[in-house]
Amino acid sequence: MRVTGRTFLAGGISAALALTLGLFAAAPAHADTVLTLVAADYGTGPKDSSQIYWQKIADDFHAANPSITVKVQTVNWNDFDTKIQTMVQNRQYPDITEGDYFSNYAQEGLLYKVSDVMTDPSNLMPAFTKLGSYEGAQYGMPFTTSSRTLFYNKKLFAEAGIAAAPKTWDELMTDAGKITAKGHIGYGMPLGPEEAQAETLLWLLGNGGGYQTADGKWAINSPQNVETLEFMTKLVKAGDTEPNPGTKNRAAILEQFAQGQIGMVNGITTLLPIIKTAGALTDADWGTAPITGKAGPLDSTLGVCDFMAAFKTDGSKQEAIKKFVDFALADQYQIAFSEEYNLLPGTVSGAAAFSKLDPALAPFMAALPKAVQYPSDTVWAQVKTQIQQQIGTAIGPDPKSVLDSLQATAEKGE
Amino acid sequence: MSASRLRASSFAPLLWVGPAMALIAVVVLWPVIIMIRTAFQHISPDGFILGSAGWRNFHYLWQEPDLGGILIRTVIWVIVVVAATMLISLAMAQLFNQKFPGRRVARWALIAPWAASVMMTSIVFRWALDPNNGVINVFLHDIGYLNRFNSDASDWLGSPGTAFAWMMVVAVFVSIPFATYALLAGLQGIPTDIYEAARVDGAGAWRTYRTITLPLLRPAFVVALLINVINVFNSFPIIWEMTRGGPGHQTSTTTTFMYQLKQSYIGESAAMSVLNFGLVMIVVLLYLRATAKRREDI
Repeated sequence: MRVTGRTFLAGGISAALALTLGLFAAAPAHADTVLTLVAADYGTGPKDSSQIYWQKIADDFHAANPSITVKVQTVNWNDFDTKIQTMVQNRQYPDITEGDYFSNYAQEGLLYKVSDVMTDPSNLMPAFTKLGSYEGAQYGMPFTTSSRTLFYNKKLFAEAGIAAAPKTWDELMTDAGKITAKGHIGYGMPLGPEEAQAETLLWLLGNGGGYQTADGKWAINSPQNVETLEFMTKLVKAGDTEPNPGTKNRAAILEQFAQGQIGMVNGITTLLPIIKTAGALTDADWGTAPITGKAGPLDSTLGVCDFMAAFKTDGSKQEAIKKFVDFALADQYQIAFSEEYNLLPGTVSGAAAFSKLDPALAPFMAALPKAVQYPSDTVWAQVKTQIQQQIGTAIGPDPKSVLDSLQATAEKGE
Repeated sequence: MSASRLRASSFAPLLWVGPAMALIAVVVLWPVIIMIRTAFQHISPDGFILGSAGWRNFHYLWQEPDLGGILIRTVIWVIVVVAATMLISLAMAQLFNQKFPGRRVARWALIAPWAASVMMTSIVFRWALDPNNGVINVFLHDIGYLNRFNSDASDWLGSPGTAFAWMMVVAVFVSIPFATYALLAGLQGIPTDIYEAARVDGAGAWRTYRTITLPLLRPAFVVALLINVINVFNSFPIIWEMTRGGPGHQTSTTTTFMYQLKQSYIGESAAMSVLNFGLVMIVVLLYLRATAKRREDI
């Protein structure tokens, strides 16, 4: 019986082999080029999933270039970085990514230079050239951009008897206190792992701090930053925020703001469709204002850019990638994306065309060129991960030691 | 018998044992070797080997300010979850061993937490504990225990103490079915005539339980205990889905911490893995000793 079993197994294997070989034999001599695209999902559910957006481009592209097939895979924002990094760690490189870009992949020689995979790199928004570059060469192609601003709930402001949006931290704390006293959440402070690095930086900027000094030295544990975290702790301790900000993610906080439960949040334009979907606030119920600082509002906000990047893998797909990148960055798709998610385009021509269509977003676009950006160092990937995991614990009696350990991570490098 | 035939027949057993040995070598031994080798390598966050690290990965691991707390928490996690599981399961097994109407349905129902994906169960509990509108908080609010939503009191998963306690509750909840079934099988294997003899001799209920049921239940108990210890020690989805080990690493155990280290520091994560492996080996050795002792008893 056993022998029979083994024979059967052997037979099965050879049958499978034959089948596989048969499949290869059946394929045309010039096999289709298959590109794998891994993109972050900007949607809030199946209806507005980025899968739909990219699949449309992939289908259009395939219709125009029948010999190239683009396989689209979208990944939840929370998992995007980890997913890409795991793929890289396992040497299962995607061909094209769209989402966060990290210069360490460029450092390791894994990426194509932009000039290799795009016909007209000068059409990429110049404000983000440095962020997408490593040692002078650009690897990341700005795909979608955004700038941050303070959103506030006018309904709750009126209920608490507040006339105008706060300009300084002290005003913010007073206003948040009044809103909290009415049984709502005064200020939403998402310091959970999802995007703690953004919320933190917006606060640090308010006190003249940041992750780095103007000349690019790490300064996470600077005295101003310690002072900033102390103020944030004071705000949390007073009960003016949601409880335990270190465990609350941005998505949940924005959702709660849209439901009318939070007085103020630092948000992005993507909040607009969330507010619309939730249906609790009308357009007259909320407003935006510059982000508060210690002594007055910020004159430059945080500009965030998500990039496309092309992995080299075995180097055989460069032409196909170039065709696809040129195709996907066309104005019509840039505008479609911006309209779908209320974000701003990443190309110059896309931005020009979009400003005409949607004047409401023009001020956000005007703020981009002078916006503060994340560090472009290769160690930023690790620093960011550590900030996401640890910064919540800096809200407490000893912010300095947490900032010290983040500074050590940045200086240790890899 | 000729020499060549003798040689052939001495290879025959290898033919039978070979596949199993090969499987163990590939699935068990090889990963262990790779793990230990990785722990001594300097690897970039993106998986490029940059040379030998000597003992540096272990050195960095010892210097992690959170490591002490994580180790202590892991021990508490395993002891409390396993002890609670075994105690509750002993009672449950006893209950399900009695005849009562609807016993069959009740026994099926017991399988549910086991059959459901642990990750799913954890997500359900995470939402049920939501500080704003989680069903558990709504209930506590309705009975007057909770004054205010979005408060520290309603944010069970926000502060490390209450978060860890709730995760233990979930861990016990998903561990009970297996332990109960293992013990129930053990109970059903005890011959009824021993109980009759005890009754004839005038032994009371507690004495019967202590001197007959418990000793005869021991093999089933030890197996259930060991499997539970290893399962609970390795438990990842509950902590990951409910708190991701946060805030900071204040609700991490060694298993989730290892995963988080992997994101940025692969070598150090492998060092943590080696430490974990050592801890599991200690448990296994204790088990082997316990079972060896039992054989001597008999």
